[in-house]
Amino acid sequence: MSAQVYFDDIAEGEQIPSLKKPVTTVNILMYLGVVWLLDRIHFDYPFATERRGLPDIVAPGNMAVDFFAQFLTDWAGDKGALRKLSTQYRSFMVPGKTLECIGKITRKYREEGTGFAELDLTLQNDEGTTCVLGKALVELPIK
Amino acid sequence: MEESLLEKMGWKKYIGMETVKTGEPVLARDIRRFALAIDDPNPIYYGEEAAKKGRYGKLAAPPGFICWATQEPWMEKRYEDLGEDGLLYFLGVPEIPNAWDLGWVRAGEEYEFFKPVFAGDRVSVNLKVVDMYEKQGRSGQLIFTTSIATYTNQDGDLLATQKITMIATPRKEG
Repeated sequence: MSAQVYFDDIAEGEQIPSLKKPVTTVNILMYLGVVWLLDRIHFDYPFATERRGLPDIVAPGNMAVDFFAQFLTDWAGDKGALRKLSTQYRSFMVPGKTLECIGKITRKYREEGTGFAELDLTLQNDEGTTCVLGKALVELPIK
Repeated sequence: MEESLLEKMGWKKYIGMETVKTGEPVLARDIRRFALAIDDPNPIYYGEEAAKKGRYGKLAAPPGFICWATQEPWMEKRYEDLGEDGLLYFLGVPEIPNAWDLGWVRAGEEYEFFKPVFAGDRVSVNLKVVDMYEKQGRSGQLIFTTSIATYTNQDGDLLATQKITMIATPRKEG
């Protein structure tokens, strides 16, 4: 965990530290088992490619929400919190590629003694393909 | 004029439908395994001691766990009862007939988080279908469904809301 970020120290237009998330078949398997998700496109390669016309098995879209949530809660620190998160799915997340969470502060404002930051988010793979776009609202402490 | 897919499926009457589910108590193990599955190493998810140092002072789940905290035993089916796609239940519009005759993709979602899920909580969800409409896509007719999930805990506290948009298209069998 990095040092606590404060509202006072951030600026609109800044990028926050990115987070890399490797996605392998094992990561996908762990997720499916834990949340009890048995959709065949997530683990059965012949079914996914031959029957459903997908490029490979695909990670559940929810994992993008979780990657962004980790990215933003890491940044917000123990004194901050993730308040809003939206996602738009653009390309399938396939195993064997590392995804990178990228976030840019678009607006900062104070409300009732609390600091808030709005961010634009991108989840892209190591070929530069945008898999998911997002927006977030993060609460930050004021010094 | 092509026949309306939404009319053909007979789904319009499900707009406004609400369903309520309540999950079983959330275990510390559920939270830990979920954190492992998303590969989030933050120690606050792995035990009560470390969690005491976090914002909430006790073991809380990562934000995205909430949509899994409301699963009920009926959602866990035997192998022979799974459909060909392995699909268990339908999140966007539950219990509408012939949902799996179409192929579904998740278009997007919008979460607002008010309070976290703590170990021991029983989380309920009210899922309401707020809209269904059609669009002509490049590859044919598309049905968009929008639903809003409202999550609460055993004390009636609002935990989160989630707006989910799904897109359905006629399947192209390979």
